[in-house]
Amino acid sequence: MNRSIVHSDNNLAASPLYSAGADVRMAHIAAGLKKRRAASKRLKFYGIAAIATAIGFLCVLLTTIISNGYTALQQTEIAVTIDVPVDELGDEAGNIDLEKSLAYNWDGLVKRSFRQAFPEVTGMMQQRSLGELISANAGYELRLQIEAAGTLPSGPKSYWVKSSDDVDMLMKGRIDRSIEEKMRRVKDDQLAWVDQIDAAGGMRLVFNTTFFTAADSREPESAGVLGAIVGSALALIVTVIVALPLAVMAAVYLEYFAPPGRVTDFIEVNVNNLAAVPSIVFGLLGLAVFLGFFGMPRSAPLVGGMVLALMTLPTIIIATRASIRAVPTSIRDAALGLGASPMQTALDHILPLAAPGILTGTIIGIAQALGETAPLIMIGMVAFIVDVPTSFTDPATALPVQIYIWSDSAERAFYERSSLAIMVLLIFLISMNLTAVALRRKFEKKW
Amino acid sequence: MVIAMNATTDLMPDIKLHAADVSVFYGEKQALFDVSLDIQERSVTSFIGPSGCGKSTFLRCFNRMNDVIPSCRVHGKIIMDNVNLNSQEIDPVLLRARVGMVFQKPNPFPKTVYENVAYGPRIHGLAASRQELDFIVEDSLKKAGLWKEVADRLNDQATGLSGGQQQRLCIARAIAVGPDILLMDEPCSALDPIATTIIEELISNLQSRFTILIVTHSMQQAARVSQKTAYFHLGKLIEYGDTKDIFTRPQNAKTEAYISGKIG
Repeated sequence: MNRSIVHSDNNLAASPLYSAGADVRMAHIAAGLKKRRAASKRLKFYGIAAIATAIGFLCVLLTTIISNGYTALQQTEIAVTIDVPVDELGDEAGNIDLEKSLAYNWDGLVKRSFRQAFPEVTGMMQQRSLGELISANAGYELRLQIEAAGTLPSGPKSYWVKSSDDVDMLMKGRIDRSIEEKMRRVKDDQLAWVDQIDAAGGMRLVFNTTFFTAADSREPESAGVLGAIVGSALALIVTVIVALPLAVMAAVYLEYFAPPGRVTDFIEVNVNNLAAVPSIVFGLLGLAVFLGFFGMPRSAPLVGGMVLALMTLPTIIIATRASIRAVPTSIRDAALGLGASPMQTALDHILPLAAPGILTGTIIGIAQALGETAPLIMIGMVAFIVDVPTSFTDPATALPVQIYIWSDSAERAFYERSSLAIMVLLIFLISMNLTAVALRRKFEKKW
Repeated sequence: MVIAMNATTDLMPDIKLHAADVSVFYGEKQALFDVSLDIQERSVTSFIGPSGCGKSTFLRCFNRMNDVIPSCRVHGKIIMDNVNLNSQEIDPVLLRARVGMVFQKPNPFPKTVYENVAYGPRIHGLAASRQELDFIVEDSLKKAGLWKEVADRLNDQATGLSGGQQQRLCIARAIAVGPDILLMDEPCSALDPIATTIIEELISNLQSRFTILIVTHSMQQAARVSQKTAYFHLGKLIEYGDTKDIFTRPQNAKTEAYISGKIG
């Protein structure tokens, strides 16, 4: 549209307000002012409402997670008087014989000792029902405890053994006693026994150290997040080692060396697009390339880390390019003007100055990778692993995958553990992000 | 050509640089048109002209800083010691060790004063020991007239110096590599009058050792520091000659209009 004021003055209508006196004009503007103020107030209110809603949802989320998960910090234990048979397990000096210990039926010992406290329980079914109050792993854990001590105790001694997850849930008030017996995990006679033990002081709630020192288990009371944390840590180490140098080199090349043209544009567009690719696609890529083509081990943090590195790569490249661009060109000119080669300019001046930004981008990328589940599922890091991984090729799982596995389990006790694991994950994420902020604050240079 | 006539032939042995038909293009746009001139050794030559006239672009041809700009192409020859600096066989890294540059805004590295001066000699391997490097740093700072002020703060951050000190540090940094030629791109435009005076005095002192090319917006500055002046307008070299002639008896009407403040 070509509007020309000069040639259309015949068509112009004189605005009465424009030609009126200042007082008339002011009165007109003042009259409209109320409406304008109301509009800006409304907009402000919408903004506050949006933020309040977001904070509200966040509060609900955190409250739910914490109220569901905090009880997993404690574990119910039952006192059992056990007389360890020294003649069957030890040598003459009273030291434990590990071979004999390995072959010994510790479960039987614990169950027998526990039942002795209830001589009135005789029926086969009832005895089994009574035994269910104790953790299925109680024997194994007692064995570890005594083997660690090295010497066998003489005579009966009271030990605290873990209760089963159902008793644990009952003690934490997560099982409703008023429900019909058929529908209840803890039966009436079991309830009576639990109350009897509790009344006699044979029940206690202790800090759940197992949760932080063990890997996954079929029994909730023996399951912990350490395996998943170590798995995540190993994978993330690989991610940093692979992604950081690759991304920084790619960014430096794209910023300083890439000849402008179609190929460079194509690469640039695709780097940006890669950041938006669904992570499960990277998982498929890892499955096809790393496992299928290169035949790398399944479920290994090495492969998981490499897949996550592919996913993090665009994030770090974009962050690095942005922070390289934030370094004033005068610094680059100064170095080049002295006769520094482009590589010397980049390594001696640009990268050190861009380092805080690169580091921040990397930490944020890594934090993103830490929370990622989908690509790990594709390469088999979703397995049930009971050992804490000790190397990059050991089968392992990761923290978010562990949460996913537990949240899918039937036992009520796994539910609270998955909430606690979410808290652990959130603490890691928040501390990583805080580190990023702190680094940026500390090393940010002003020109 | 006007230029060839202006450059008197008896000065030929002292000619340090010879530019022949230098044209510069930014993409499709031509920024400099067939500029030819001779630069005298151990003298100060100033390039003046209104903004966007191509004087800075021309200056950057002498140390190939235009190479950094991807769309920029430079045609023509710049001869120094019988070598065409604009040829692809010349390594800009080597060239820049002989042709130092000082920029418009003081741009010290955000490192210590010492590190700023030592960086150039270090990357070119000019000092075999710490003592040699110390000597180069001290000597360069002395030549730049900064030694007395920073002798006891060599390990302080260079960005903590005043603007004028920073610019002299940048000059010291350029000198430390041992160049023959110093390019100065409006070195005083970001400085206050006192700092400007100090830099101008420094330029006059440096003239005995270096061939200095200076781009300036201030005609007074050109008149004060330079022996030769070139006036550029819209990418063309309009007039080139002895500074005193340019400012007192300009041959070209455009030059006269500019120095009398009618354009620019």
